[in-house]
Amino acid sequence: MTPLLDVQDLHVTFDSEDGLVRAVDGVSFSVEAGRTLGIVGESGSGKSVTSLTVMGLTRGPSTKISGTAMFENEDLIAASDAQLREVRGNEVAMIFQDPLSSLHPFYKVGTQLVEAIQTHQNISRGAAWDRAGQLLELVGIPEARKRLDHYPHEFSGGMRQRAMIAMALSNDPKVLIADEPTTALDVTVQAQILELIAKLQGELGMGVVIITHDLGVVAEVADEIAVMYAGRIVEQGKTDTLFDNPEHPYTWGLLESIPKLTGPREEELIPIPGRPPSLIHRPTGCAFHPRCPYVREAHKKTDPHLEPLPEDGGHRVACLLAHDTRRDLWAKLRAGEEPEQARAEVPLQ
Amino acid sequence: MLMHRSALRILLVLCAGGLTAVLVAACGGGSSSSGSNAKTAAPSGAKKGGTLTVLANADVDYIDCGAAYYQFSYQIEYTYCRPLYSYKPQDKGIPSPDVASGPAQVSKDGKTVTVHMKSGIKFGPPVNREVTSKDVKYAIERGFNKNVANGYASAYFGNVEGADQAAKKADGEPIDGIVTPDDHTIVFKLTKSTGTAVAEALGLPLSTPVPPEYAKPMDQQNPSTYGNHIVSTGPYMITNDKTGKLTGYEPMKNITLVRNPNWDPKTDYRPAYVDKINVKEGVDPDVGSRQIVDGQSLVNGDFTPPPAILKQVATSKKDQLLLIDSGGGRFMSFNFKVPPFNDINIRKAVIAGMDRNALRLTRGGAVIGPIMQHQIPPGLPGFDEAGGQNPPAGADWLQHPTGDKTVMAKYFKAAGMSSGKYEGNAKILVVGDDSGVGGRAAEVAASQLQDMGFSVNFRQVPHSTMYTKFCNVPKAAVAFCPNTGWFKDFFDSQTLLDPTFNGANILQENNSNWPQMNDPTVNKLLDQAKVTVGRDARAKLFAQADQKITMLAPNVPWVWDKQPNIVSKNVAAVGSSFNATVDLNFTSIK
Amino acid sequence: MGRYIVRRLLWVVVLVFAVVTITFLIFSVLPSGADPARLRAGRSPNPRLVEEIRHRYKLDQPVTTQYGLYISNLITKLDFGHSFQNDTDVLDQIFKRLPATISLSLGACIVWLFVGISVGIISAIRRRSLLDRTAMGLSLVAISAPVFWLGLVALYLFADDIGKIPILPGAGSYTPITDNPWHWFTALILPWLVLAAAFAAVYARLVRGNLIETMSEDYIRTARAKGLSERKVILRHGLRSAITPVVSALGLDLGLLLAGNAILTETVFNIPGIGRMSYNAIVNSDLPTIEGVVLFGALFIVVLNLLVDIAYAFIDPRVRYT
Repeated sequence: MTPLLDVQDLHVTFDSEDGLVRAVDGVSFSVEAGRTLGIVGESGSGKSVTSLTVMGLTRGPSTKISGTAMFENEDLIAASDAQLREVRGNEVAMIFQDPLSSLHPFYKVGTQLVEAIQTHQNISRGAAWDRAGQLLELVGIPEARKRLDHYPHEFSGGMRQRAMIAMALSNDPKVLIADEPTTALDVTVQAQILELIAKLQGELGMGVVIITHDLGVVAEVADEIAVMYAGRIVEQGKTDTLFDNPEHPYTWGLLESIPKLTGPREEELIPIPGRPPSLIHRPTGCAFHPRCPYVREAHKKTDPHLEPLPEDGGHRVACLLAHDTRRDLWAKLRAGEEPEQARAEVPLQ
Repeated sequence: MLMHRSALRILLVLCAGGLTAVLVAACGGGSSSSGSNAKTAAPSGAKKGGTLTVLANADVDYIDCGAAYYQFSYQIEYTYCRPLYSYKPQDKGIPSPDVASGPAQVSKDGKTVTVHMKSGIKFGPPVNREVTSKDVKYAIERGFNKNVANGYASAYFGNVEGADQAAKKADGEPIDGIVTPDDHTIVFKLTKSTGTAVAEALGLPLSTPVPPEYAKPMDQQNPSTYGNHIVSTGPYMITNDKTGKLTGYEPMKNITLVRNPNWDPKTDYRPAYVDKINVKEGVDPDVGSRQIVDGQSLVNGDFTPPPAILKQVATSKKDQLLLIDSGGGRFMSFNFKVPPFNDINIRKAVIAGMDRNALRLTRGGAVIGPIMQHQIPPGLPGFDEAGGQNPPAGADWLQHPTGDKTVMAKYFKAAGMSSGKYEGNAKILVVGDDSGVGGRAAEVAASQLQDMGFSVNFRQVPHSTMYTKFCNVPKAAVAFCPNTGWFKDFFDSQTLLDPTFNGANILQENNSNWPQMNDPTVNKLLDQAKVTVGRDARAKLFAQADQKITMLAPNVPWVWDKQPNIVSKNVAAVGSSFNATVDLNFTSIK
Repeated sequence: MGRYIVRRLLWVVVLVFAVVTITFLIFSVLPSGADPARLRAGRSPNPRLVEEIRHRYKLDQPVTTQYGLYISNLITKLDFGHSFQNDTDVLDQIFKRLPATISLSLGACIVWLFVGISVGIISAIRRRSLLDRTAMGLSLVAISAPVFWLGLVALYLFADDIGKIPILPGAGSYTPITDNPWHWFTALILPWLVLAAAFAAVYARLVRGNLIETMSEDYIRTARAKGLSERKVILRHGLRSAITPVVSALGLDLGLLLAGNAILTETVFNIPGIGRMSYNAIVNSDLPTIEGVVLFGALFIVVLNLLVDIAYAFIDPRVRYT
């Protein structure tokens, strides 16, 4: 099956006063119709920039973009602004992290929906208004038609995100990119929104890209997951595979930091120690090495590539540790050992 | 006493308005190059017709000639008001008969003044009847009416029999001492021998006939509404409606003057060349001056052109400049009551040491007028007798306008200061203007005082504050006032010397005898001159007083001002020596 | 909203009353060099006349009596009194002069909003371009140039009587719109530009700053993600928010306009409006006129601010008054 959206070797750099920011450094992924890709990483890992770049929203005088992003035989990276606008909000739609700041505070929700509809469909305002009502209904807002007349600040957080989703769905997009769609919401609403996205995807057969810093968010809904670190994908694979047999120490860290509903309440989440690397002065060798508990001297010099695992070609990882070592380490970690302990027990190669 | 409280006039008033930058500019000086002389006669073959526009910054004080007391008002109002006497452009001494048919006859005792009037002079619409002596009588009587607010009636006509009661009641009742034996004769009976002064005061616009049957009801209003219904006697009238209500006067905006249909040129010396005169008010002096110089048919009203434009006109457009003696001077006053200036030798030393030419340069140099050397200015009776352009004989401290250190040292030594410089320690209070050319003059003076050895407490305040809070208030004990000056009311030196040097005129407030001079000889001379009949005799006495005053070294005299006026290229301007402004009745369009 | 407006209007009354009182106090109680009676007697300080005038204008009575009389005349007869300077009815003079001031202010306001907003938008979009730098540089000049000076420069450059490039009517050419609309328009072009210059500059900078800030908002990203053209993104979404502070600034600036710049502009260009009137009144300590102008000015400013607040509620749906 040909992918709907196929991004290959995407590079994005920004000129800043402090120097060149390599926000995205050779990222490739693809999404098929009816499938969901999760892109996971900390803030600053380049995941948002990647999605915004696909939408053409990072274009600017100080931005350099290379690579391709094929959507139905059209390269969105090379496309003109006008061509891009045709696709944007129409065939590829996007929703954002903070629904309050992402909706215009001065316009009624209905007006904003109508604008989205009329931008790509040549229909009357009345018809667009009806359609907007249907959309709000579709995303599960009660008394949808009445709600069209309300302003964003009169909506609750969850409703706003539903409205954002409705807006994204205005023109029956083929690809929906959701950038941290649940981060600003509280836990119960998060689940509802994710369910909604999953449900709509099922009904509409869209390809979905969900971008999040929280592996837990995509555990249920994503078919495939790409883990990003310092502008690159460091591990990619089927969701089940990634959860069962993660290969990258960074992925391990992310998995450890998922809040476990079953665990004791007072148990602290374990964040990954250290801070995300500078994208201006990228660490030499493996970019994760300053934070990696299992680092070897050689890792500071050699830059790992994303390579498929021998037993599963769909599972790829960029790590300099030997495959066996990684597996042993993960086994120890899974058994509940601390990284230091695991490290002491497994001979590193 | 009232008589002595004569008016502080015109230029000073203009400059007293200098609270603002605009007006400060208006009070600016002249230029350093030599200017043209005043033209006081119309060119032969002057054309009739056309419209002349007067640009002015502010309004007339009163549109009613019976209340007006302001240079600019006079400039405008002599076109529609004809007093008994008025000044032809060249008149410097006695005014010419206007409504009067000949000179005023002052009796030998100086207590009766008789004036005969021309016949055939008619009021303009809507009154339309011939002017009689009763109209003049009423005009003067209403000057005592509080509703009219005339500023000088009691000062100049206070000695008319019955005038004191009129002044007390202040409702414009008839005054017995003004008699009208027939329709064309009016007689003033006086309680004192002030006939000459009264005769001269008949040249002020208060003597303009006012029809009582028309004006009386208006004068009963408080304030009088006659101003808004004023009837013309002159060649021009302010446009009005059938009832006489003015349509051509909008305060602070404009005055529209057209020909008076009832004016008979045979009764008047005014040629009245132009057909129409527009007065446009609210004009910024900078903009207005530029408009006049570059434009057509424009003359300046109440503002003095700023120095930059004056300089340009004085060098390259002399035809457009009129410099007219203003009949006054600027001088820096010592206070006799404040040491060390109670010592005449110190005063003489300061005058001798002061570079008065440097002071004059702050206003623009020689073009603005000659160095002042004594008190009576050029053009006024007694000027020549008092020394003309020279200081009185023996006043060696006035001999060198650029300052003479030897003479200065001589007088400091005479005051007991052997170094030839001032040796006292106490700080002397000097209060001067804080802005404009006045401020500069004050600064120059203060620094010169310091050079002479004085320790100066120099305060700079707005011009009006300088007068009202400091120099006019003896209690303020200001030792030296660098920005004082005085200008004539009309061509009689009484108005110049009496308020400023007569000991009887030292007031606790609003004092203009700045030195607080109270010299018996001077007082006597002035009192004697005031009641003397005959111009020559008066001139001689005032000249004596002037010399006596000047020898007492009451001030550092530094310039006898000329007033600059500018006109457009196509204007054949004639200046009024009396008013120091462009005479609208004689000015024509080329 | 209705209750809010009523409450605000009551405040207007209190405020205007306070302003009138303070003005009265400033001129009556605080020592000033100018004694109105003496100024009216003016050119000749004859003490008797001064007394008469003082009596005529009730200046010889206690300040409280004067004040009471003024207020009662004002409230019961809407009588603003008569000018000390030329005995004219103050209210009458204000109404006669209001059209000129309104013509000047409103026209200038339109000019500066148009110029300021357009330049602001262009500068914000072309940020750091030569155009932006030039516009912002010029705006600094315009902000710091005194109106009076600017007026003179404009006249010396463009006035048809004294200008180097004589293309527009100069000082003193103001004609009421009812007399001749075309003359009214041409005569006001220079004053409008001069008066608008500084404000246009301020607004250009304000709009530029606001727009740059707004354009980084999330909802702008949303608008772009919808596929809107950049034009629509800027005008419909960016400007809509960036313009809000302009509305509140406008309320204050129109007040400022009357308080200062309009006076100066009317003075330079000799436009017979309220500004010139108050200038003359202040120079002459003409209390009734000053009171009248201040009262009108205060009324104008508070009503304007009320309008701005109400307008705000319409512009920003998040604002609700109760």
